[in-house]
Amino acid sequence: MSTEKLYLQHFNDEARSLDYYLQKMGGYKALKKAFSMSQDDIINEVKKSNLRGRGGAGFPTGMKWGFIPKQSPKPKYLVCNADESEPGTFKDRDIMRYTPHLLIEGMVIGGFAIGAHHGYIYIRGEYTREAKLLWAAIEEAYAKGFLGKNIQGSGFDFDLTVHRGAGAYICGEESALLNSLEGKRGEPRVKPPFPAQVGAFGGPTIVNNVESLSNIPFIIDKGGEWFSGLGKLERSGGTRLISVSGHVKKPGIIEVGAGSVTIRDIIYNHCGGVLGDRKLKAVIPGGSSAPVLTADEIDVIYDIEPLMKLGTMMGSAALMVVNDSYCVVKLLTRITKFYAHESCGQCTPCREGCRWMEDILHRIEHGHGKEKDLEMLLDIADNINGKTLCALGDAAAGPVMSFVKKFKSDFEAHIRGGKCPNA
Amino acid sequence: MPKCLINGKEVEFEAGKNIVEVAKKAGVEIPVFCYHPGLTVVAQCRMCYVEVGTPGKDGKVQMIPKLQTACSTAATEGMVVLTQSEKVKKGQKATMEFLLLNHPLDCPICDKSGECDLQDNSFKYGDAYMRHSEERRTYVDLDMGPVIQKNMNRCIHCTRCIRFGAEIAGIREMVAIQRGNNTEITTIDGKELQTEYAGNYADICPTGSLTLKDFRFHKRAWMLKKTPTICEGCSRGCNMEIHHQNGVLERCIPRENMEINRYWLCDEGRFHFRDIQNDDRVTTPMIAGAVSDWNAAIAKAKDALKGKKTAILIGTDLTTEEAKLIKETASQLAPGAQVFHFGTPGVNSVAQDGDADKLLKRKSKTANLNGIETLGIKPLESLSGVQAVMAFGGGRAVMPELSGVSPSNVVAAGVFFRSKSSQFAAVLPGLSFYEKSGSVTNFQNKEQKFVRAVASPKGCKPLSEILMTWVHQDKSGVA
Repeated sequence: MSTEKLYLQHFNDEARSLDYYLQKMGGYKALKKAFSMSQDDIINEVKKSNLRGRGGAGFPTGMKWGFIPKQSPKPKYLVCNADESEPGTFKDRDIMRYTPHLLIEGMVIGGFAIGAHHGYIYIRGEYTREAKLLWAAIEEAYAKGFLGKNIQGSGFDFDLTVHRGAGAYICGEESALLNSLEGKRGEPRVKPPFPAQVGAFGGPTIVNNVESLSNIPFIIDKGGEWFSGLGKLERSGGTRLISVSGHVKKPGIIEVGAGSVTIRDIIYNHCGGVLGDRKLKAVIPGGSSAPVLTADEIDVIYDIEPLMKLGTMMGSAALMVVNDSYCVVKLLTRITKFYAHESCGQCTPCREGCRWMEDILHRIEHGHGKEKDLEMLLDIADNINGKTLCALGDAAAGPVMSFVKKFKSDFEAHIRGGKCPNA
Repeated sequence: MPKCLINGKEVEFEAGKNIVEVAKKAGVEIPVFCYHPGLTVVAQCRMCYVEVGTPGKDGKVQMIPKLQTACSTAATEGMVVLTQSEKVKKGQKATMEFLLLNHPLDCPICDKSGECDLQDNSFKYGDAYMRHSEERRTYVDLDMGPVIQKNMNRCIHCTRCIRFGAEIAGIREMVAIQRGNNTEITTIDGKELQTEYAGNYADICPTGSLTLKDFRFHKRAWMLKKTPTICEGCSRGCNMEIHHQNGVLERCIPRENMEINRYWLCDEGRFHFRDIQNDDRVTTPMIAGAVSDWNAAIAKAKDALKGKKTAILIGTDLTTEEAKLIKETASQLAPGAQVFHFGTPGVNSVAQDGDADKLLKRKSKTANLNGIETLGIKPLESLSGVQAVMAFGGGRAVMPELSGVSPSNVVAAGVFFRSKSSQFAAVLPGLSFYEKSGSVTNFQNKEQKFVRAVASPKGCKPLSEILMTWVHQDKSGVA
């Protein structure tokens, strides 16, 4: 069960310096190797690695890089999505805190592969410390010639800038991120065209997650096939950093080979079991956007395809565990309040529907629910699901539909009894 | 031309057109709010849902499981579009329900009632009942200046106004602040609207959120008679529609003309009908500022011109028919008189005309400079040596400096104002643009005809009648 770990052993304050990276992590060796490869070879290696996007969508990274046109009248860009706003997710933060050079090296290689000379790291505004640490690492890299002009004598120029967000979950959506980067309101764009065709400042752009880009040096150094082998399932390579929070005895980040553990493994073997040794009530497997699972469903392998088959998703690999001390009605209300607050307001179903769902759930939670409310709630969620301009609407509708269906008796108790059965 | 199937019917289309436009050409209505053919596509309102299918590699049509927004989907060869399937109807009902959650039931007091997209689409595609029983969100309204009245509670956040300002009027003044359900459309720093095209905000707003202060609470939309007409404000000749009831002009809206004004009107053109709704307008024959009758006034006019070197001035705000008639009758009005045209100071000919801004306005502030110049009438250079003037104007042409001509030797016929003509020998009141039929030629050499919308005030006469009376009046002063 012990897969080779790539990150966890370096998650400490000592590791972030460039010296540590060069000496203890074989830093910037992959970059040197990449410069001797062709762009197509690099992209093929990433395809072979079966690296799936680590931001939440799980799109194969190699395939995404292949979408960039070879020639372009406008400059191309590589953008790192460090917005990490999916509730329950905190793995990218540690990568940026402790191993920032993995990200930097990954971005230089990525820029080289797609022909971009400018990279942006869009980091959520709340990560003030991490932005500072990133800038410090970038300064180190510039000083030693790993960024800037003619990197390590390769003839390749690459500049990297950290751009801070200002507290909007929607700016984690790649086209809203690009709008925000350009100084506009952080609102998603109509697609097509997709960022690989028209992205930042009108040029072809690839947007990748922090962890996805940080894996690139490993892939180039030891090969795509090796990376793919770290994962136990087909088409899902590498290790996964999983953010585990909630009612477990040992919350935090764990690192496992992709598809090598079940949810039960994670909770009971890696995280010490349920807090207070209480009964497990619910598990939200992939950040709050992922449909909830009951305690009977935790024997599923924790990876992209198995979770999708179960009607939920791995998302940003943020596992939130709930024991029976907590009211699921209150939990769903709080989750729905988040989406209503974060909605950008462009499209009708999300702007109006999310707030409506929040209002209904608030009433139900406080004992003012009506008999018809549950049916109406499901219908509203159905009217939002798949009908919005971006996935935030789906992210709001999914939890409502799954919680109300799987914990129906809890909601009915609130409506009929006027209070929580837990209390 | 490529073909697609809309509701089972084969439709030809121009490559690149979106499904809303293609369906419209085929006579199929797809409801919209945020979509406007003159503005960029944002696909935000989610009203224009359709089901779309495209032929796969094997030639069989695969329907896309999710509903698509017709405004942002370009029609392609062999595409199958369903605009009223059960799925589409449910999606339309859902959008209408969402839009009406927070929309106040203002119809009884709202100007937009009767011509409101929200009302129309709700009636055709929505439900007749309400499931929502939560508290509605409200806003405090901003005063946006003299043209537009803002009612933010009624706004459905289609962002047409924001896009119009930025893309057409060239001024990013309408903006969205806050986000999500609290999004508010306002102006930057709460300033008043600056653009000279502000009236268009009220045209494009699909609800009663942005309305014209000038028309507020005047008339119900369905009471108005609508007559297509041409703007007389400048040499562009924008197409408009004048709305009136019981012979009173109430407001103007633009008519679509892709070659002249596309979908827009400037505020000057939109509101200048108010200029003649003015007690200052001369509506009975006048002699030296005092009310008179036609026989006396015409007799006095003839007297003022007799034996003097006369210039006959034709305003370029008159119709081509009027100008032609004056030119042909000139020798009978004042034998030996020279005929010139006048209009906008500094813009004496078509060659001197040009664009006055980046959108619609032209330098010549009259509608028919081109038409009248084409008749061979020369521009007025100066009045030196002239002793008497007979000026024909439609209300827009600016009277030239009279130089050595005494006002008591000036006769005016047409639309004139008492405050400017009280010293003239005689004023013979004529018809304004909306009170007559005729044609004008714009700067693109397009001749445009318009018909009478309302009757003139009782005392005013058409130019043809004034001229014929003049010519046939016998020496004793009786017609």
